[in-house]
Amino acid sequence: MTDNHPFGSGMFQGQAKFVDYAHMNQQEVQVNTLDEPVLDTLLRDINMILYKLSYVIIPRMKETQGRKLRNWDLWGPLLLSLLLAMTLGINSNQSSDTIFGTIFIIMWGGSAVITVNAKLLGGQVSFFQSVCVLGYCVFPINVAAVVITFLQSYFGFFLRLIIVGVAFLWSTFSSLSFMSSMMNEEKKVISVYPIFLFYMFLSWFCIFI
Amino acid sequence: MEIGVQKQTDEEKQVQKGQFNKLNDSGDKRQTGYCGFLTVEYYTPYFNVTENDVIQRVKATFLPFRPDFLNITKDNPDLWGPIWINATLIFMITAIANLRQVDSEKENQSFDVGYVPQATALLYIIAFGTPAILAVVMKVLGVDLSFFQTICLYGYSMSTLLPITILCYFQNELFLWLIITYGVGNSILFLIFNLKEELDKLQIQKKYIIIAIVVTMQLSLYLFYKLVFFSYVSEGNVETTTTSASSEPKEPAN
Repeated sequence: MTDNHPFGSGMFQGQAKFVDYAHMNQQEVQVNTLDEPVLDTLLRDINMILYKLSYVIIPRMKETQGRKLRNWDLWGPLLLSLLLAMTLGINSNQSSDTIFGTIFIIMWGGSAVITVNAKLLGGQVSFFQSVCVLGYCVFPINVAAVVITFLQSYFGFFLRLIIVGVAFLWSTFSSLSFMSSMMNEEKKVISVYPIFLFYMFLSWFCIFI
Repeated sequence: MEIGVQKQTDEEKQVQKGQFNKLNDSGDKRQTGYCGFLTVEYYTPYFNVTENDVIQRVKATFLPFRPDFLNITKDNPDLWGPIWINATLIFMITAIANLRQVDSEKENQSFDVGYVPQATALLYIIAFGTPAILAVVMKVLGVDLSFFQTICLYGYSMSTLLPITILCYFQNELFLWLIITYGVGNSILFLIFNLKEELDKLQIQKKYIIIAIVVTMQLSLYLFYKLVFFSYVSEGNVETTTTSASSEPKEPAN
């Protein structure tokens, strides 16, 4: 039953407060998710992440279809940021820990700053939803980084530029399809520009792997 | 911060009612309590710009002899410009530094993120620290310019660095010094002409204090900028020269 419910998530295990449930009371939910096997919890979380990634891969412009993304979680962004930072760190010839740290901080700090910027400009964004969306939309850049890493010798500079360019446009477009509905009409360009800069920053490093 | 999805829209609606308050005469928004500056709502009036406003302000930066920047921004100082112009600059510094490396080392391409923390610290400290110092000094000397207006003015003066950064891609030493000089001149003139109206109300000695602070900080910013670029190129040459065992410390003329 918890799989069908929007709040059925392994993340809420052990927490005392739940918002509200249509189908069951608090006791039943706690028992259900605490007693299940670990594999079930993991699979449920992985399914949730994959489900959200499908929204990233196929950006949908209508806001109603993006409603499922409102159940924010930070596992996906964490995994994606770790993967990106590790990929870029492995490929660098210098201190990979600096690069790892920089990418990680840029990703999380950047998401936070963009969200605060959108809020300050009068947009109706919730902080963690926005961080979640921005984090998930790094997925195409991640794919580009991994692809370039493994096929390094076959790719010239311009081919890398094209691949990273496509990934960057994909990321930006899919995050816009969710974020633009929440922003103030007349300030859309200056709300969107930081997102553009953020993904450009992250994808720039992939060209030089 | 909101956690539950259902509570979020109600809370956001309550917050929205308190936003977009008008500024009072001195251009600051006074918040009750001492911790008002820690809330989001305190800074919302300073983001009341559209993209046309921003473009107009950036254009005004490049025309220092027509000092209407302060007139445009007196009633509506914004913080969006300073923050994101500096963020763009940080990205451009990293990008151009990497692009320069692509040309010099064909086989050993790697990217250097060492500039990101340095550039972030340098740019943001200068973009927000100098106006703080200036505002304090000006308040002491009696100029009526609020803190946020100074930040706005100073932050937009950084936009002179945007084309300069792009042009720093070229490796000709003379060219780099020329554009750095142009940048210093443009930004100093921009700042001084826009402050002129306020400064004329003061006595001459006090005026020169402020002018001296402005000139010093701009010079040091541009010198740091140049040295960051310059030292990078010579390091790159040192690496290649150690591997190829020649002893040329200067960058080769391209």
